[in-house]
Amino acid sequence: MNNKTTLLFPAFIAEYTQKELETFSRHKIDFTKYLQTASDTLGIVLQDFTYNSEEYKNDEFLAQIIAYLFSCASFDILKKNGIKPDFGAGYSMGIYSGLYAAGAIKFEDGIKIIYNAFKLVSELSCTDEYAMAGIVGLSISDVQEITSNNSLSIEIINVNSEHSIVIAGVKKDVIKALDFSKMEGALAASMLNVKTPYHSKYLKPFANRFSVFIDSFDIQIPEFPIISTFDQRIITTTDEIRKELVFNLTEKINWYKTMQFLIQKDVSLFYECGAGKDLSKIARFIDGDFRFIPLHSI
Amino acid sequence: MAQITDKVREEVKEIIFEFFAEECETAVEDINDNTNIISDLDGDSLMFLELIEIFKKKYNLNIELKTIGKFAIKNPVKTIGELVKMQLLIIEHENNILNI
Repeated sequence: MNNKTTLLFPAFIAEYTQKELETFSRHKIDFTKYLQTASDTLGIVLQDFTYNSEEYKNDEFLAQIIAYLFSCASFDILKKNGIKPDFGAGYSMGIYSGLYAAGAIKFEDGIKIIYNAFKLVSELSCTDEYAMAGIVGLSISDVQEITSNNSLSIEIINVNSEHSIVIAGVKKDVIKALDFSKMEGALAASMLNVKTPYHSKYLKPFANRFSVFIDSFDIQIPEFPIISTFDQRIITTTDEIRKELVFNLTEKINWYKTMQFLIQKDVSLFYECGAGKDLSKIARFIDGDFRFIPLHSI
Repeated sequence: MAQITDKVREEVKEIIFEFFAEECETAVEDINDNTNIISDLDGDSLMFLELIEIFKKKYNLNIELKTIGKFAIKNPVKTIGELVKMQLLIIEHENNILNI
């Protein structure tokens, strides 16, 4: 029987529905308090949020923080409304808000983890030599062929659906890959607004240091299972959460397989816990009998 | 090659207008042939892909996405009117669209 519910947590916010703040307000969620706690935790003054805030779009770190805050606040609405999920899954850095929602990490700890992960990999991002990009309209094999035929230092680091792929690697080669992709017939091929090649082989050298850092945190058994976007295993223990946090930063992920796995597990209802509707858009290209509930409709 | 009748022309236009009205949460009456997909409607590539899939299913089209991509590079689409025209060409010529 298809009746299970999953909470999905986005990583970055490509575009706001511009209904988020009104939804928070309607449910008596004071978003300024989330910003204030983040400011206090980080020891910096975060600017008031507006939908047009450039710094929350263009600053790689702040973009992650604001996405985390929106996701946590969104989850708090669902919690207030008594929605109990069967599973949770975080798209890339969405894992942190997923773990907050599952009661596995404290709200402030999520902020600290994001900060430290970012600080750790900033050795790469500050060089401006790496990049990520999205390609729509080509298949995995098309992109693999482009990569191997042209000896590009890039990798497919995530598959969103059959024809939506994310790559990461050396910036000059990412740019070349986009040019080749367009020539090959991609409907769209564009750079992402990040300088860190998340989930690529270039992150592997950071795995041990990140693991040591994660070990310093108090992690609780999750109140609902989290599905790994790395290998789609069901995570129910604190040890597995610690492993997954490292995998999630340093290994390739596969959102398509994660969604397929959830659908096979009889999930028919998804809530996108966060700003925008990127995950529901991606899901339109995934077969299955399921529906997405927009946050603003609750 | 499919015959483009007035009925198909109207159908394609209606599907595209209603699709963008729903996706972009705007009234159908506010969309016209000159509406810019990106600047006026905040449209994106996934919407374009979804529309292609809708038409592929509806008209049982034999066309690869890559072919559409190659055609779109030479014939970029900015407005709703241009998109309707391109979609009609896709329905009419399918995989031969690059040869027209």
